[in-house]
Amino acid sequence: RPEAARAVPSAPAASDAAMVSWGDCGDCHDVLAAELGSTHHGRVGFAMKSDRGCETCHGAVGTTAAHMDDPENPEFQPRMDKLSTEQQNATCLSCHENGNRLFWHGSKHEGRDVGCLSCHSVHSSQSEDGQLQAASQTEQCFSCHKDIRADIWKTSHHPIREGKISCTDCHNPHGAQSPKMVNAVSVNEQCYSCHTEKRGPFLWDHAPVRESCLNCHTPHGSNHLKLQRTSVPFLCQQCHSNTRHPGTLYDGFVVPTLENPETGSNRLFNRACLDCHAAIHGSNHPSSPYLGH
Amino acid sequence: GTGAAVADEGFTFHLDPLVIENLYTDVDTESAKFEEYRDLGTGFRLRQLDLFGESEALDREMELKLRNAGRDDARYMFDYERIGKYGLYVDYNKIPHRFGNDGRILHVRTGPGRWEIADPVQQAIQDDILAAPTVDFAFLDGLIQPYLAAEADVDLGLRRDRTLARIDLAKDRTVSWMLELTHENRVGTRPFGASFGFNNVEELPEPIDYDTSGALVRGEWVGQKSALQFGLRQSIFENNISTLVWDNAFRATDSSGGSAYLAPSGSSRDGSATGFADLAPDNEALSFFVSGRTRFASNWWANGNASYIQMTQDEPLLPYTLNSSIEGVDHETGATFQATDVTALPVRNADTQVDVLSLSGDAGTAFGEDWSLTFHARYYDYSNDSPRIEFPGYVRYHAVWEEIARVTVPYAYTKQNLGAELAWDVTDTTNLALEYDLESWDREFREIESSDQDSVKLSLDSRPNQQVSVRASYELVDRSIGEYLTEAQEFSFVEPEGINNQPGLRKYDEAAKDSDIYSVLVQFFPADVWSVSFNLSGQKDDYPESEFGLLSDEVKQYGAEVSFTPGARSSFYLFGHLAERDVFQKARQSGGSLSTSPADDWTIAFDESNDMWGLGWTGRPAEDWTFDVTTRWSKSDGGADFTTFGGTPSSGRPNGQAVDIDNYEDIELLDVTFKVDWAVSERFGATFWYAYEDYTIDSFILQGLRNYLPGALLLNADNGDYTANIFGVQMKFSF
Repeated sequence: RPEAARAVPSAPAASDAAMVSWGDCGDCHDVLAAELGSTHHGRVGFAMKSDRGCETCHGAVGTTAAHMDDPENPEFQPRMDKLSTEQQNATCLSCHENGNRLFWHGSKHEGRDVGCLSCHSVHSSQSEDGQLQAASQTEQCFSCHKDIRADIWKTSHHPIREGKISCTDCHNPHGAQSPKMVNAVSVNEQCYSCHTEKRGPFLWDHAPVRESCLNCHTPHGSNHLKLQRTSVPFLCQQCHSNTRHPGTLYDGFVVPTLENPETGSNRLFNRACLDCHAAIHGSNHPSSPYLGH
Repeated sequence: GTGAAVADEGFTFHLDPLVIENLYTDVDTESAKFEEYRDLGTGFRLRQLDLFGESEALDREMELKLRNAGRDDARYMFDYERIGKYGLYVDYNKIPHRFGNDGRILHVRTGPGRWEIADPVQQAIQDDILAAPTVDFAFLDGLIQPYLAAEADVDLGLRRDRTLARIDLAKDRTVSWMLELTHENRVGTRPFGASFGFNNVEELPEPIDYDTSGALVRGEWVGQKSALQFGLRQSIFENNISTLVWDNAFRATDSSGGSAYLAPSGSSRDGSATGFADLAPDNEALSFFVSGRTRFASNWWANGNASYIQMTQDEPLLPYTLNSSIEGVDHETGATFQATDVTALPVRNADTQVDVLSLSGDAGTAFGEDWSLTFHARYYDYSNDSPRIEFPGYVRYHAVWEEIARVTVPYAYTKQNLGAELAWDVTDTTNLALEYDLESWDREFREIESSDQDSVKLSLDSRPNQQVSVRASYELVDRSIGEYLTEAQEFSFVEPEGINNQPGLRKYDEAAKDSDIYSVLVQFFPADVWSVSFNLSGQKDDYPESEFGLLSDEVKQYGAEVSFTPGARSSFYLFGHLAERDVFQKARQSGGSLSTSPADDWTIAFDESNDMWGLGWTGRPAEDWTFDVTTRWSKSDGGADFTTFGGTPSSGRPNGQAVDIDNYEDIELLDVTFKVDWAVSERFGATFWYAYEDYTIDSFILQGLRNYLPGALLLNADNGDYTANIFGVQMKFSF
């Protein structure tokens, strides 16, 4: 946001004799005030909602007036980090417990003592959106979820590292009633939000597909095609050990080489099972009980 | 402001920044992997534009953001807000997805869903096959290669164009409303298995032209201690190319025969001249939801959600086949009918419907100084109301009528969770929590109709001081199952056909399972300028009652990270992550009848390791100069070790032993980016950057691929190794 817009709005008339204005704090904390001015909290919309200026948040520490009398005394400094995570959260939620934060209370993050200020920075955020401490939303999540950071660098991945989607496209870090805090009521409904063509219901369904996409796919990254947990055909053979080709051994002996293509088995190379069972997520064709076409 | 531009109707606009970039990209191959989800082609692009405006009274503001404007991966965002009253947000996001370049097929696209081979070519190939004394791979390879050589290349990829428009009314007020409209168009192609049988897979580009439209209306009321959200959502999927029809490369005229699904081979030279596929059908989903939370005076709180979703699909069905030589037979009456006749179908439309009811809630209270108790419950019912449609038979691979009556199976299930968590604040900075969850499944038409899964999880979160943070958890999972119905595989048969899956196999998603899951994250902040972290996590799944199928799956991950920020002029970080995964599965090979011999058993032990390293260094050697180095290196190394026991699976193999696969996805990606920023003045800056990327893949599933392999006519599009050098020059302006 440009400098011109960074002036901290002046507070409306005081309703509390003990209240201090933005300007009072800004006299000493000019850098903080300027940083705040570049955020939503420094805009006029904030002043329209609260007439307490900095005390809107820092008043929760309860020592502002004493701090102004004795600014160097650490005991009276209204620093938010003096508060417990729960108290910090309560400060933020006094305005923000709506929208996608409806279920913050009782959420997994809250339960693990992750607070608003664990991820967000009111004064000096580094991100373009969301006032995050990290440069981007994904980097913020990776500060704790380091396994996922490694996953997105695998060859088969959603376009997360390319910045075309981010964690909150699927998850709600502020709490959800669904498993793994996905935005939809179930994993499958979440996946269908982008992969609508797989929603069906189909004439011929594949039962494990309807129960969970994660039976076969891993969403954050895989070394195998199409985010498969295990590569086809072996993935399919984890459930299908039938007579004839499903139970057949497809080992290195039937991997083709450029010098000797003839030994190759089309049940193993390329798309393996899926070259014939192309409608593996469900088929609408009367002749496809085996999920062919 | 430094450069306030024109004020229009009281608006003041600021452009900060405007970034124009010129790219020069050099890639040594045609691999589509390089630009899988991005557009980095040589040339100019508008890398970034941020235009901010606000009214004189500061009660209205707008923001326009452009990223990679004009490119395949562009994004355009517009935000307008009348503060405290309403807001409008529009987002247009283009996401490319490239699958492969320079694929080659005999077919030419002559219509939206039509791939054809020139009639003389198709006829000549058929004539040669019918005249040949022997039809084997050598013959077919020699026959097809000259035709392939004469064809042009085809690239495979699609692009998602996503539009979102959202209107917020009275946002952040006691009662607020939100209307969100979405539309996504997906256009392009992706690889598709278009098979005519066991010996004739003809991979084609599947034409994609999808439209998905959505609408969401949400209302919200926020009170002092309670809040309520409710809404209605609709999603409509339309496939503008609902049917794919393609020519058979090896058959120009329709014919049929008992072994035609094995053609072209020594067994048969018959088959259909054309194949067809019913592509993804149009479908709709309508959902209604109510969510709420409240806090009671008695220190209790509660959250809840109720959602109802109806998913429907009623696409007209295609006939059994396009093969005019196939006659269908009614298995009950023996009456015959033309299998290409759509009126011969028992129904004309799919008429499927699923109703989902999801109810969830949690409630909790704190007691004493340091204790809290939370309860949770969830009920998810996937009720499949689709009719069971009985078909007198089906056409196998467009080639032969199978007089085996089949009936559709509306799979359905109910999943319930019930649990509680007891948390104890051991100290002001340490929390211990014990959680229990019971997950119960009830299924229709599957092998295991009911199962119960107990989970117990212990979590520790501690921040004893500003310098240390510890998070750890350990979870034990035990899933027990009811009776395993091996006959479940016959639910789609009108007459029992006999069990042909190993009765000792337990499908892993339903099977009895024991799991250990653990996670530890320790972070040190020894000084303001240093931070160090270590993480360890793992999961081990065992399937103790499974004789075949997936028997165990274990992953262990370790990581460490250090960052150093000595001052405003420099920062450095380094992280490493190692993962090991071991998977073990077992099968028994059978011929036409189910083997009961342990000698026919075979096993695979997968061993996958993944290394991931990252490094970043930012420095500011002078006031106007900043440099940044970022490196990512990811490497996977996998192997599949097979064991056989002397029976059928061993036959024909060297020394009667299975041959291991060493390249169970050996992949390496190195990405190094070096960037220098020069702040020439307050309003103008320049950036020079260079990126080096090197990608290699050695994968058994892609090994030795060519356009014609035994039983497969493949696209063989390039999605493999590449080395890329990218140079970028950016000019950055602020007004």
